[in-house]
Amino acid sequence: MTEPQGTSSIDAGLNRRSFLRKLAGAGGAAVALQALDQLAADPAQALASYEAQIQELSSTSGGDLSKLDVLERMRRELVRALEKPPEERRWVMVIDLRKCVGCHACTIACVAENRLPPGVVYRPVLEEEWGVYPNVGRRFVPRPCMQCDKPPCTPVCPVNATYKNVDGVVVVDYDQCIGCRACLTACPYGARTSDFGLTYNEPNPVADGLIAGRTVAEGYERAPSFEYGEARPRQERTSPIGNARKCHFCLHRIAVGELPACVTTCIGRATLFGDANDPASLVAEMIAQPNVIRLKEELGTEPRVYYLL
Amino acid sequence: MDERRGIQQPSACELSRRDFLKASAIVGGGIAFLGALPGFSALQAARAQAEEGALAYPLADPANQIYTVCLQCNTGCGIKVKLLDGVATKIEGSPFHPMTMYPHVDYNTPIASAGTMEGAICPKGQAGLQSVYDPYRLVSVLKRKPGTPRGGGQWETISFEQAIEEIVEGGDLFGEGVVPGLRESYALTDAAVAKEMAAAVKAIHNAKDADSKRALIAEFQTKFADYLDLMIDPEHPDLGPRNNQFVFAWGRLKDARKDFIARFLNAYGTTNAHGHTTVCQGSLYFTGKAMSEQYVDGAWTGGQKFYWQGDIGNSEFVIFVGASPFEGNYGPPLRSPRLTTSLVEKNLKYVVVDPRFSKTASKAWRWLPAKPGTEGALALALIRWVIDNQRYNAPYLSAANRAAADQLGQTTWTEATWLVKLDENGVPGKFLRASEIGLREKETRPLSTDPDKTYEFDYFVALVNGEPVPVDPYARDPESAVRGDLLVDNVKLGDFTVKSSLQIIADSAREHTLEEWAEICGVEARALEEIAFEFTNHGRQAVADIHRGVSQHTNGFYNVLAWYTLNALIGNFDHAGGLIKGSTYSATGSKPGQPFKISQSSGTMVPFGTSIIRHNEKYEKHTLFLRDGYPARRNWYPLSSDIYQEIVPSIGDAYPYPVKALMFYMGSPVYSLPAGHTNIPILADPKKLPLFIAIDPFIGETSMFADYIFPDTMYLERWEFHGSHPSVAFKIQPVRNPAIAPLVPDVTVFGQQMPMSLEAVLMAIAERLGLPGFGEGGYKDYGDFTHPDDLYIRMVANLAFGEKEDGSDAVPDADDEELRIFLEARRHLPPSVFDAARWERLAGDYWRKVVYVLNRGGRFQAFEKGYKEGVIPEPSANYFGLDLTVTANPFATMVNIYQEKTYDVKNAMTGEHLVGYARYFPGPYAVTGEVLNDEADGFDLRLITHREIMQTKSRTSSNYWLLALLPENAVLMNAVDAEQRGLKDGDLVRIVSPTNPSGEWDLMNGKKVPMIGKIKTTQGIRPGVISFALGFGHFAYGGVDVTINGTTIPGDARRIRGFHANAAMRVDPYLGNTTLVDPVGGSAVFYDTFVRVEKV
Amino acid sequence: MVTIKRILYVLGILALILGLYGFYNRLFIGERDVNYGSYVTWGLWVAMYLFFAGVASGSYMVAALDYLFGVKLFKGLGKYALWSAMVTLPAALISIGMDLGHMERVWKVYLQPNLTSLLAQMVWGYTIFGAVIVISLVLAARQKEGTSWALKVMAAIGFVLAIFVSGGVGALLGVNASRAVWHVGLLPAQFPIFSLATGTALLLTIVSFFGAANDPQREGRQRALGVITIVLLLVKTYILWSDFSMSLYSGVPQNVQAINEVLYGTYWWSFWILQIFLGTVVPIVVLLVPAWAKNRILSGLIGVLVLIGFAAARANIVFPALTIPELQGLAEAFTGPHLNFDYFPSLMEWSVTIGVVGLSTLAYLIGIDRLPFLKTQAEVA
Ligand SMILES: Nc1nc2c(c(=O)[nH]1)N[C@H]1C(S)=C(S)[C@@H](COP(=O)(O)OP(=O)(O)OC[C@H]3O[C@@H](n4cnc5c(=O)[nH]c(N)nc54)[C@H](O)[C@@H]3O)O[C@H]1N2
Ligand SMILES: Nc1nc2c(c(=O)[nH]1)N[C@H]1C(S)=C(S)[C@@H](COP(=O)(O)OP(=O)(O)OC[C@H]3O[C@@H](n4cnc5c(=O)[nH]c(N)nc54)[C@H](O)[C@@H]3O)O[C@H]1N2
Ligand code: SF4
Ligand code: SF4
Ligand code: SF4
Ligand code: SF4
Ligand code: SF4
Ligand SMILES: [Mo]
Repeated sequence: MTEPQGTSSIDAGLNRRSFLRKLAGAGGAAVALQALDQLAADPAQALASYEAQIQELSSTSGGDLSKLDVLERMRRELVRALEKPPEERRWVMVIDLRKCVGCHACTIACVAENRLPPGVVYRPVLEEEWGVYPNVGRRFVPRPCMQCDKPPCTPVCPVNATYKNVDGVVVVDYDQCIGCRACLTACPYGARTSDFGLTYNEPNPVADGLIAGRTVAEGYERAPSFEYGEARPRQERTSPIGNARKCHFCLHRIAVGELPACVTTCIGRATLFGDANDPASLVAEMIAQPNVIRLKEELGTEPRVYYLL
Repeated sequence: MDERRGIQQPSACELSRRDFLKASAIVGGGIAFLGALPGFSALQAARAQAEEGALAYPLADPANQIYTVCLQCNTGCGIKVKLLDGVATKIEGSPFHPMTMYPHVDYNTPIASAGTMEGAICPKGQAGLQSVYDPYRLVSVLKRKPGTPRGGGQWETISFEQAIEEIVEGGDLFGEGVVPGLRESYALTDAAVAKEMAAAVKAIHNAKDADSKRALIAEFQTKFADYLDLMIDPEHPDLGPRNNQFVFAWGRLKDARKDFIARFLNAYGTTNAHGHTTVCQGSLYFTGKAMSEQYVDGAWTGGQKFYWQGDIGNSEFVIFVGASPFEGNYGPPLRSPRLTTSLVEKNLKYVVVDPRFSKTASKAWRWLPAKPGTEGALALALIRWVIDNQRYNAPYLSAANRAAADQLGQTTWTEATWLVKLDENGVPGKFLRASEIGLREKETRPLSTDPDKTYEFDYFVALVNGEPVPVDPYARDPESAVRGDLLVDNVKLGDFTVKSSLQIIADSAREHTLEEWAEICGVEARALEEIAFEFTNHGRQAVADIHRGVSQHTNGFYNVLAWYTLNALIGNFDHAGGLIKGSTYSATGSKPGQPFKISQSSGTMVPFGTSIIRHNEKYEKHTLFLRDGYPARRNWYPLSSDIYQEIVPSIGDAYPYPVKALMFYMGSPVYSLPAGHTNIPILADPKKLPLFIAIDPFIGETSMFADYIFPDTMYLERWEFHGSHPSVAFKIQPVRNPAIAPLVPDVTVFGQQMPMSLEAVLMAIAERLGLPGFGEGGYKDYGDFTHPDDLYIRMVANLAFGEKEDGSDAVPDADDEELRIFLEARRHLPPSVFDAARWERLAGDYWRKVVYVLNRGGRFQAFEKGYKEGVIPEPSANYFGLDLTVTANPFATMVNIYQEKTYDVKNAMTGEHLVGYARYFPGPYAVTGEVLNDEADGFDLRLITHREIMQTKSRTSSNYWLLALLPENAVLMNAVDAEQRGLKDGDLVRIVSPTNPSGEWDLMNGKKVPMIGKIKTTQGIRPGVISFALGFGHFAYGGVDVTINGTTIPGDARRIRGFHANAAMRVDPYLGNTTLVDPVGGSAVFYDTFVRVEKV
Repeated sequence: MVTIKRILYVLGILALILGLYGFYNRLFIGERDVNYGSYVTWGLWVAMYLFFAGVASGSYMVAALDYLFGVKLFKGLGKYALWSAMVTLPAALISIGMDLGHMERVWKVYLQPNLTSLLAQMVWGYTIFGAVIVISLVLAARQKEGTSWALKVMAAIGFVLAIFVSGGVGALLGVNASRAVWHVGLLPAQFPIFSLATGTALLLTIVSFFGAANDPQREGRQRALGVITIVLLLVKTYILWSDFSMSLYSGVPQNVQAINEVLYGTYWWSFWILQIFLGTVVPIVVLLVPAWAKNRILSGLIGVLVLIGFAAARANIVFPALTIPELQGLAEAFTGPHLNFDYFPSLMEWSVTIGVVGLSTLAYLIGIDRLPFLKTQAEVA
C-alpha cells in the first residue's frame, strides 16, 4: 500500500483540502481565467478574448435569450456567476421531469467525463411504469447527488474527507478518504458509490497483432480524470480506487466556465444548472415554479436538486 | 508513479500512437503502461498546476478538440472529440450542428471561444470511445484458414499486399479448387463498346413485342460478336457484361466514401452496387420517390429517393406513427428538444400510434396501440373523416399546377383535381390527357435535357366549375393557373369516365365506415374522430410523422402513401410545423463555380445491365420475361432500389445470374435482416458464392463467413460527408474527418502511405487491375489520384466554396488563430492521415476555408436562415390560414398523391397493374399476393421489434457503458398474455415461428444459437403483440472464441447477452430464402410475423 | 479436554490456512473480489466486526463480574474473560480494517478525526478500550492474591467503556435516518445486552471446554453461565419480537420490507435456522435439561451455537436494511459489479472471516497454553 501522491503527512492532506476548497472556492472567476490563460498559447491574447466574451455575455443577459438554446443561455449565465465571489453564488440543478425522455445520456456522459469504472455511477436515471393497459404511464427520474444543504453523508465521515465546500457542493477529498463507506450508508438517495478498482476492459484479451486488444482499449479508461481539478490517471489501488465517489456538479468544468457534462448532453433539455442567487438565471426562475419538488423532502436534507413535475 | 519515478517521456507531439503501442508492448501492461500513456505529459503539466494550486482542465482547450460526426447510429450528430495527447477521452455534442443544439450557435463563432460550448448527444454518442477502442477490432487482414469451412472461426493473418493479390488474381486459395479473382470479372474494359451495348440493350427493352425483341437480340449478337464471351449470357444481353458478377454491397454509407466507391465501381464497370435501404425504412424512401416523380419531357422521372418528416419544433399537433423519436428515429438528440420544449413551453399535443408504449408515448396526449399492419387503414379512417367533414385544406388541394400554387402562396401542389380515367370495371388508371378529349392539342416542346430535341407535351385535365380545363403542371404564368374542382365522381368526358384524384382517394377511404376502420385497427372510433379533428384544427402546423412501423410491412408502400396523403389534405408540405425535407450543401463540384468537379477522371467504364436485385427495371421489358413469363422467379423492383434482402438470396438462386465475388462493406445482413438466417447457407457455400470479401473492423455475424476480412478505419478515424435528415430545416453538410490516429496499420498503395481501410482496399485493387481514374494522372485535370485525400480535401473545398457561382456564400478564411488551433488539434495524427502540406496543396486557394469548415466539423446554415424571412408562425387562429412561413429549403414542386407511374408498373408475380393511390391492403401477404394466416396455425402472438436508445444493430454491443444500462433485452409481453400462458417476469421462452419451428439460428458451423429470451411483463404493449429490442443476442462480434494464427482469442460473453429474434421472422413462402417483402416499396418486413413462445 | 484443545488447534490452523487466500487477495489485490458494494455497503466483515466487538466488550463485562463486582462464582475467571476480550478485539479490528478501501490511511482517524462521526468515536473508543484490556491484563497477570485497587479502577473504566462501545456500534447504524429499520431508539440499547450475551456464551464454552477438571467450582460456574445465557437469550428474543412487531405494525414500507426480507427473504435460513433454531431454541432447551447442561462437551458446543446465532443476528441486522433500494428502480437503472441489492459474501470474504476466526482461536489457545498466568489453571485441566 503505497501513497503515491506523497500525502503521507498531515500537511499534505491539509494542503490538498485547501486546494479542494479553492477549486470552486476562492476567486472562482480568477481561477477560471487563470485556467483559460494556461490553455492558450498567448496568455495575453486569450485573456483579452475571454474578457471580451464576458462582456458580451453580460450584455446578452437582458437581451433576447429565446434565440439561444438553453444550453448556451446557461453557459453564459455560468460565466457570469463565476465573476462573483463563491460564497455569493448558489449552484443548483433543476430537473424537469416533463422533459426528461429517459435517454440516459446524462448517465453515460458522467461516466465518460469522470472515467467511472464498473460499478460506479453518479447519475442513474430511474424508471417507473404504472397504470393498466391501455392507460399506462411511464416516467424517468435522473438522480444526481442532491448536494444537500443538510447532508447526512458528511457528519458520519470519520476523517472529514467529505464536506460541503464553499459554494455548497458536497465534495470528497480522495486522498483523505479511508473508504469506510459510512457516507454511502448514510445517504438517503443512494447517491454515493465506491470504487472497487475494476476497469471495463480488464476481462479482455491482449493479443497484439491479432486484434487491437486490451492494451489499446484501456487507453481512455486509464487516462486521467479531472475530478476536483486534479489529473488522476487510473492506477492500481490508487485513489480514487478504494474511495467513496459521487457527483460533484462537475466542479472542474464549472471552474473553466463549462456546464456539467450531464447538463450539456441532456437531449430533452430537462436538466438545468446555474446560480440560484442570480435572479435573472434560468434556474432561479424555475425553482420558483409551483410545480417544483425535492426528493424525500421529509428527511430535512434540503437538496439543491429540484424537480419539476 | 510517473514523475516521482522520474520516467522521462518524449513530448506529446513526438510520441506517436505507434510508438506508444510499441512502448506498451515492450513494457507490458499495468503501471509501466501508464507511464507510456499518451496524455501523460498533459498529466504532468496538470499535476504541476495542481500542486501550485491552479486548475487544469486541458479538455476545454480548443486545441485539444476536433469537431466531427458521430456514427454510433446512422443519425450522424455533430460531435466534438476531446483529446488528451492523441487519445480520445470524451465526446460531446457540437454546438454548430442543428441536431445537437437548438438553435445552434452562430457558424462564425470563433473556434477559440467554442471550447466550452457543447451540444447534446445521446448515450450511444457518449459511448463512442468504446466502439473505436474496441479490444476486438481487427488490425490485420484475416484470411479464412485454408482447409476450414466458411464460418468455422479459423483465421490466418495475411499481409495486405498478399491479400490484394489473392482476391484479384484468384487461384486455389483455400485448397478447394480454383477461386475466380476480381480480374476474371473485370471482363469488358472498353467504355465505348459498353456504351454502344447499353444503347442496344435499351432498344431491346423498348421493343414493342417479343418478336422484335428477339430480332434485336440476334442483331446484338452479330454486332458484338467479338465481345460475346465478355457477356454473362449472350442470349440475354440485357444482363450485361461479366463485370456485373462482382457485387459490391454496403450497409452504412454516406457521401465521400460513397463517391469513392462509385468512382471505383464505375471504373470496374459493374451495376451491382447496393445499399441497405430496404432493411431500414425502404418503403418510406420509395414512396417518397414515387411521390416526388415529376412529369419532365413527357415522362414521369426524377423521383428522389427521400422522404419527409415533421418540422415538429414548430408543430402544434403531431401524430407519430411507428416512429419513436426519443429512442431511435434520426434521432433523439435532434428531435427530443424540439418536442419537449414545445410540450412544456408551447402548446404541442401529440399522438403516438404504436403497439408498444414507447418512451415517446410516455409524453403523448394519446397512445393508440393499433394492430400492427393496419397503419394504412388508420390513415384512411382519418382521411375519410377529414373528407366527409370537409376539414381538408380546400384551397391547397384545388391548386392543379405551379401557377395556381404561386397565386396561393404555396410552394407545393398535388394532382388532387386532375382527372383519372377509369377502366370498364371502374378501376382508375392513367390521367386523362387534354388531347384525348379534344380539349387541347399536344404541343411540341424542347427537351429540358437537350433543347435541340423536342417531345410532344400533352396537357392534363381538371374540371373547373364542372368544365374541363387543360393543366400544365409547371406553368408559371398566372393565366395558366388552374384551381380545379376537388371531388369529381364518375364524370363522362368524351369516351372516358373519369374521377378526380381526390375522389379516388375518398372512395378508397370510404371502403369502410369509420367504425369498420376502427374495428380493423383495433381502436376506438371516437379516438379516431378526436384525432382527425385535432389534426385539422391547427392549420398547417399539424403533421403526421411516420417511420419504420409504417413502412416495414408487406403493405408498407401503401401505408406510407396513405399517411402522406393525409398530410397532403392539410397542405402542410414545406411549412414550418408541417412536413419538411432535409437538404445538404453540395460538395461534388456540380454547382457552377465550385473549384473541383470530383467525378473528374482519366477514364471510366459504362456499367450496364440488370442488377442482381433487379431494381429500376420492368420485368416485362426484360428478355428474361420472354423466357419465364409470370410469375417471375423472384420479384422485380422497378420503383425501388437497394433491395438489401435480395442481394444474398438472389446470389443463392443465381437469379438472374450467378455471382463470382461479393464484397460487403459495413453491413451485416445476417444479423440485421428479418429472416437474415436464410443468408447463412448461401454465404457459407463457396459453390454458390465463390469469393466473399468483407470490409469490417470486426468478425461480425456476416463477416464471420467471409474468405477475407479487411479491417477498416472507424468513424473517429476517417472521412465521410454525413448529410442531413428530413426533419432538419437547415441546409447542412457535416464532415466526418479524422480525429484520432487509426488503430489499423498503414499500408502503401500507389507509393503512398494510407491506413488500411476501405479506401486502401479499393485503391490497391485499382492499382493492381490498372483501373482508369486511379493512380498517376487518374484525376485528369487535377493530377494524380493516389491518396484518399485527393478526393476528400477537394470535397471540403467545394463545400467551403458554397453553391453560389460568384463565391458569395463561401465561408470566411480561417485567421491565424483558427489555423493554429486547427494544426495543434491535429498534432497527434500520423502523416498518412494528416499532412498539413498535402492538405494545403490539395485545397489550393481554398486552404484557409477548408480549415474554417473542418474547425467546425462541416457547414451549417444559420438558424435564422432556416425559414423564409426567419418567421416562425404564431399559433394560427384561422383555420388553414395562408401563412407563408415555409422552410428556406423547400421541396417546392408537385406532390404525387395519385401516381400514374406506379399504376404503370405491373406486379412481376401476377402481371397486374399496381395501385397508384392510398389504399388499404390487408396483410400480411406473400410476394405473390397470397394472404398469410399463421394465426390459424396456432402462432398466436405477433412479433415486432423496437430500438432502445442505448443500442444499435452491430455496433454498440461492445459499449460496456451502455451494457450497464441494459445488459440484455427481453421479450416484452402484456401481463395479460403472460398470465394466460402461465408466464412471469424472468421466465425463459423460446420464440418459434412457422418458418423457424426450432427457434434457433443455425450457423452451419455446428453451432446453433437459440432464440431464447427472458419474459418482461408490462402493461405497455398491445395484448397479442410481443416485442424485442434490437442490438442484443449477437453470436460473433467479439462475443465468441475465434482462432487466429492458431491462437484462440476468447470471446467476451458480455457482448452477446440477450437474444435476437430476426431469425423467427417469416420467410416468404414463394421466395423460400428471403423474408416477407413489400413487393412495391421493397421493404424487408419486420412486423408481420406470428410466433409462439415456448417456455424453456 | 486435551482432545478438544487439539481439535481446536487443528481447526484454528486449518482456518488460518483457508484465510491466507483472503488475506492475500485483500491486501495485495484490493477490494475487487468482494461482494459487498455500493448498495449493500457493509457486508460480512462489518457484521463480524460488530460481532467480535460485541464479544470483546461482553467478555470484558464478564471479567468485570470478577474484578469489579467480585462475584464469587466467577472468581478467577476474570483473566480468561479478559484474554478472550484481548483476542476478539483485534479480530474485530482486522475485520473492519479489511473493509476499508484505504486501510493504510487509518492513522487519519487518529490524527485528523471528525469526532462528530460515530465511526471516529468508535475507533477512538475501541482503541482506548483495547488499551484498557491490555492494562487490565497486565494488572491481572501481576496480581497474586485478591483484586488490586488498580485493577478494580481499571475494571470500572473498562466496564463503562464496554457498555459505551458496544452501544456505540448500534448507534453507528442507528444514526442513519435513511435506514428506517435501524433508525429506532432501541437499537443502540440492544447492543450492550447482546454483547453481554456473547461474552457469557464464550465464557460458557471456555469453562466447559477448558475448565480444570478438579476445580470444584467448575460445574457450578457452568451451570450459572448456562442460566445467565438462557436469561439473556430470552431478553434478546423479547427485544427482537418488540423490534419486529413495532416495525411491522408501523407500516413504514421500508421497514416492513426489511423485516420481511429477514423472515422470508433469500436468507430466511440464516434467521430461522441459525439465529432462532440453532442460536436460541436449541441452547435454551439443552441448557434447561440439567443432564445435558452438565455435559461439558454439550454445553461448550451450546456456547459456540449461541455465538453463531449472534453472528447471524448481526448479519440479520446489517444486511436487510441495506438490501432495500433507497429509491425505487435504482437496481435496474445502472447495473454492474457491486451494484446489487442482494448480497451473499464472496469466497474471499468468507476466507478472510474464517482466517480471522482461526487467528483469534489460535491466539486464545496459545495464550492459555503459553502465558504463565493463564497457564497455571489450564494445565491442571
Ligand atoms: N437507438 C437507436 N437509434 C437509432 C438507430 C438504432 O439502431 N438505435 N438506428 C437508426 C436507424 S438506422 C433508423 S432506420 C431509425 C429508426 O427509427 P424508428 O423507425 O423510429 O425506430 P423503430 O424502433 O424501428 O420503430 C419505431 C416504432 O415502431 C414501433 N412499431 C413496431 N411495429 C409496429 C407496427 O406494426 N406498427 C406501428 N405503428 N408501430 C410499430 C416500435 O414499437 C417503435 O416504437 O433509428 C435510427 N436511430
Ligand atoms: N430486430 C431488428 N433488426 C433490425 C432493425 C430493427 O429495428 N430490429 N432495424 C433495421 C435497420 S433500421 C437497419 S438500418 C439495419 C442496419 O443493418 P446493417 O446496415 O446491416 O448493420 P450495421 O449495424 O449498420 O452494420 C453492420 C456491420 O458493419 C460493421 N461496422 C461497424 N463499424 C464499421 C466501420 O467503421 N467500417 C466498416 N467497414 N464496417 C463497420 C459491423 O462490424 C457489422 O458487421 O438493421 C435492421 N435490423
Ligand atoms: S444526496 Fe446523499 S451524497 Fe449527496 S449530499 Fe445528500 S446525502 Fe450527501
Ligand atoms: S468512505 Fe470516505 S468519505 Fe465516506 S465516510 Fe468513509 S472516509 Fe468519509
Ligand atoms: S454534475 Fe457532473 S458529476 Fe454530477 S452527475 Fe452531472 S456529470 Fe456527473
Ligand atoms: S439526458 Fe436529460 S433527457 Fe436524457 S435521461 Fe438525462 S435528464 Fe433525462
Ligand atoms: S443519435 Fe446518438 S448515436 Fe446516433 S448519431 Fe446522434 S449521438 Fe450518435
Ligand atoms: Mo435504419
